[in-house]
Amino acid sequence: MKKNAALFHIITLCCGVFLTGCVKDVDFGQANDIVLSPDIQSNLVLYTVGEADFVDPVTKDIHTVIRDTVRLEFLDDDYIQNDLNSVEFYFRNINTFPQAFVSRVHFLSASGRKQFSINYPISPGSSDNPVSTERIEVMGADRIEQVKNSITMVVELEVQTNEEAFTGDLEFASKGLFKFEF
Amino acid sequence: MRGLIFFFFFSSIQLSLFSQNKPLLYNVDGLPQTLMSNPGAEISFRGHFGIPFLSQVHLSAGSTGVTAFDIFDDSNPNVNLRVRNAIRKLTHRDYFSVNEQLEILSIGWRLNRQNYLSAGVYQETDVFAYFPKDLAILANEGNTNYINQPFDFSQAAFTAEVLTVYHLGLNYKFNSKLTVGARAKLYSGIFNVESTNNQGTFTTTLNEGGNGFYRQTASEIDIVVNTSGFASLRDEEDNTVDQAAADLLKRSMLGGNLGVGLDLGATYKVNEQFIVTGAVQDIGIMFQRTDVENYRYYGSYETEGIEPLFPEQENTEAIPYWDIFEDEVDANLQDETLEDPYVTWRPVKFNTTMEFGFGRAFLPCNYRLVKEARYMNAAGLLLSGVNRPKGIALSMTAYYDKLITEKFGFRAAYTIDDYSFTNVGLMAHRTFGSFNIYLAANNLLGFPNFAKANSTSLQFGMQFIFKDN
Repeated sequence: MKKNAALFHIITLCCGVFLTGCVKDVDFGQANDIVLSPDIQSNLVLYTVGEADFVDPVTKDIHTVIRDTVRLEFLDDDYIQNDLNSVEFYFRNINTFPQAFVSRVHFLSASGRKQFSINYPISPGSSDNPVSTERIEVMGADRIEQVKNSITMVVELEVQTNEEAFTGDLEFASKGLFKFEF
Repeated sequence: MRGLIFFFFFSSIQLSLFSQNKPLLYNVDGLPQTLMSNPGAEISFRGHFGIPFLSQVHLSAGSTGVTAFDIFDDSNPNVNLRVRNAIRKLTHRDYFSVNEQLEILSIGWRLNRQNYLSAGVYQETDVFAYFPKDLAILANEGNTNYINQPFDFSQAAFTAEVLTVYHLGLNYKFNSKLTVGARAKLYSGIFNVESTNNQGTFTTTLNEGGNGFYRQTASEIDIVVNTSGFASLRDEEDNTVDQAAADLLKRSMLGGNLGVGLDLGATYKVNEQFIVTGAVQDIGIMFQRTDVENYRYYGSYETEGIEPLFPEQENTEAIPYWDIFEDEVDANLQDETLEDPYVTWRPVKFNTTMEFGFGRAFLPCNYRLVKEARYMNAAGLLLSGVNRPKGIALSMTAYYDKLITEKFGFRAAYTIDDYSFTNVGLMAHRTFGSFNIYLAANNLLGFPNFAKANSTSLQFGMQFIFKDN
């Protein structure tokens, strides 16, 4: 009988333990501090131009400056507007022209107003010795609004003419490292 | 002796397995709830009537691989680092589950010496989700550190359902050694959402030899999320709370999607002391036909970026490269919202035990009653399993039953499952006259601090149980 009473007390004690179960040593308020912070690598714009691309198709005149415009509609999306913290733009040109170029990349707002530009010289190369020029532009927290205000990317090339024959290829590739905090 | 040898042989093999279930109420011959997990269980009563809504309340929740403490430890403020570490530690086989059952009605009575009929209604909520590790990494870290590694969408698999179950079971004592049983079930669906057969990958690869830096490939994506019971509630903006409640009540009373199911079970006495049991629950199918909405996203696409047609022509409008790109993506990666009926299978559960009784038996001194020997003690091994989208989740329980008096007993159990190796459970049942109460809890070691427990479950109930005197 004493044994039964002891068992009864043990069971009662155990019942007591699980009826008084609790949650401690945790702060669920930290849930508000949880952020997802993905770093997304993505290509942006790429092209290859040859000497023919500098020739006016109608007049056959040589243009020393050529440009094209790409709307980057995603820059207007909510996840960019609300959660983008910084962007690292990376541009690379591989030049086989014996001429140098000036590359200008302009970011414009919806109204066409320039938000920021990234300009850099492209070194001359040759068909035997393609020369790579790279440029990194970091748009940190202090400049990220300029990216968010942009919607159009204008890429522009200006040939630095010289006495060498104007022939070759110029490759351009760009990518962005977009850092978010959701 | 042969039984004992077999018993320990069985234990040595099976203790290496894993799992989950309601092990504390299985094969307890004094509780009607044992018929819910094994309709062919041995029972020691002639009738029962559950207190409505209180004859069984079951709650269980679990997470393999991570606890609340792992994330929200209050001694360390860097919650984001812990989230990142948890994501890296978990695998796509880890899962989260919540299960709730509320017995609304439970009744049973012995028809004759061989047959016991039981019936009732219960409401169940079951939520189960695998951890989509690749998608979690993509969302939390991005693709920068995972170039050339595919993110696999097939890891996303989850099910959730709320339903009411109407059931009728028969327990048939075939002879002194064998008892068999079956329970027919009618499922009345309230909500369902499932997404289990997803496929496809997203990969960012270094574009060696190409112009762009990367090649981004969405390959053979096919993601489907099926829902029933959500669209109408979402669309009816003017619905009042009362109307929504009436709608849910209607669905729970066979006014929504329906399904049928079957439980089967058997108990076999190898000898007076040694019994084996086996049962399968919820061999069931739900036909999701009304208020259905399916979302599908599928296709393949590959890109290196936008390539303008340099140079821009003067006096002409700029070419809408982005729109062209978006159109191309939309043509190759399509999304659809459909209203196609679908079928879901209930998560089939199985239990099998071997139990060895020992110690003094209660045998009433009444020659007119034919009562079988009962033992003060029993030791058993229970192998349980639940079928989930990516396979069976197994658990193994070793238990010890003790009847302190004929009206007061308990079960102590140790379970190994996917959640932990330290799951100790306890169940106690007590009868006052015909009024019975029971309380069972698994993972007692976690009760002092649930935050550090991978899982916990609790069952309690009260009912009237009528026995032969």
